[in-house]
Amino acid sequence: MSAPRPEFLKFTGHKSFTQRLVLSTLTGRPVHISKIRSNSPTNPGLAPHEVSFLRLLEAVTNGSSMQISYTGTTITFVPGLITGAVPGYGAVGDEGDIVEHSLPATCARGVTYFLLPLCLLAPFSKSHMNVRFTGPGVITSATETGDLSVDSFRTAVLPLYDLFGIPAARIELKVLQRSCAGLKGAGGAGEVELRFASQVRLPKTLHLNRSPGKIKRIRGVAYATGVSASNNARMIHAAREVLNPFVSDIHVAAQYDQAPLIADNTEKAGGKRRMGIGFGLSLVAESSAAGVLYSADVVAPPKGGVVPEDIGKRCAYQLLESLSLGGCVSGAATGTILTLMAMGSEDVGRVRLGRDIIGREEVINLARDSRKFGASSWGLRDVDEDDTDDIVVSVKGTGVGNVGRKVA
Amino acid sequence: AQKLHGNRPSYRTADLARLMYDEKLTADEVLRRWQGDIEAAIEEENIEDNSGDEDFFNKAKQEEEDASEDRSIPAYDYDQLATKWSLDDNIELLRQRFTTATLNGSGGGGDDDD
Repeated sequence: MSAPRPEFLKFTGHKSFTQRLVLSTLTGRPVHISKIRSNSPTNPGLAPHEVSFLRLLEAVTNGSSMQISYTGTTITFVPGLITGAVPGYGAVGDEGDIVEHSLPATCARGVTYFLLPLCLLAPFSKSHMNVRFTGPGVITSATETGDLSVDSFRTAVLPLYDLFGIPAARIELKVLQRSCAGLKGAGGAGEVELRFASQVRLPKTLHLNRSPGKIKRIRGVAYATGVSASNNARMIHAAREVLNPFVSDIHVAAQYDQAPLIADNTEKAGGKRRMGIGFGLSLVAESSAAGVLYSADVVAPPKGGVVPEDIGKRCAYQLLESLSLGGCVSGAATGTILTLMAMGSEDVGRVRLGRDIIGREEVINLARDSRKFGASSWGLRDVDEDDTDDIVVSVKGTGVGNVGRKVA
Repeated sequence: AQKLHGNRPSYRTADLARLMYDEKLTADEVLRRWQGDIEAAIEEENIEDNSGDEDFFNKAKQEEEDASEDRSIPAYDYDQLATKWSLDDNIELLRQRFTTATLNGSGGGGDDDD
């Protein structure tokens, strides 16, 4: 090949792993990540969910190549074009338009760990990004490892794509089988299907620097999987106790499902057992300003021992805390918002963030990483219109846009 | 919380913009420095610079760092949150962020149960 050897961007550590790979794929710059948990005596190298994410990237792109060192502590990744689900490139299903991705039973992260970065790639894909997550490792609930539940993801993160001119109405997230984290926090055997049909040329420039408005209602989903449905009512009751003094318009849906059945050959051949039982609550506060959402998620730990009332209360408190941080974007969605802003047209977008939201390690890391990938530095300034101490972040787009569309 | 922020001269936006891209610091250090906790910490470090304990503590810190993963939801201490949100002052402050029945007629303002 006559093409010059691409220059690798070098990173260290296991933090912001998906974020770096997403930026790499979007900008087309290869990366080299070293020292991945190299100091850990027990499990050095890439964790199961990280390997799984690499496989997913491979499935939805064409021409990606990666090398993982023998110990798994170093990886090089050369991104390919984001193709989405194209028949003939591994897409399966009845209409041949969906990529099936199976997560291993050792996966301890919720399915939103994969959905968040996948949805960042999806708008820039060549064809529709349809992915079905199956296998014994799919956890649809929130997890102890700090992932959102699919409910929060659907109601608090996906609507934000509308702000970028990416129609959220054409993004569909179907939960075919719910599950909570299994024993020891790993594995769940749920099933989730994402159909992302809104591919764009360039995301619009975001101007979310006005006042975040006032909270007008709270919505939510309580889920009980494989345990008594009365847990739902108890969680909702406890959460309402905390939230009622603030707002009267609270609706929490109750979702009861059977736990997934999986094959289990330990006792007798062909035997089956239930797994991924548990319950949790997801709450979303909607503001009067368009696109301002705050979410909270709490789930019962896999080892049990927590009453549903506590889960409900904790979730409500978490929501209040998230509201009190201020800004227009809640912590869980900042990565999505800021990355899409950086990928937008070459114009300066602005977003208003709470002081303690920008003061998070993830955000700092994102700022550094995106600059390393060639985006310009962020501008920060105080909000001077009112007396909150929010910060307005201005991000200049890089005009990366949709490479697949550019060619086609 | 607002009072706390006001008292710290180093919790300034301009400082963060400067510190954020300083590659010599880790993200954690940037934040602590920004919030004004680090000045004291640096002095302490200088005093016991060459003591044998240093290595040990650094190792422990490194392990902590290794164990932490990327989280979408921060790990909260829920007992603390519960106490925070049972104080009337905090509730009153946050209530300003909500539409109340008097300002906004939408949605069952009349059927408030208390």
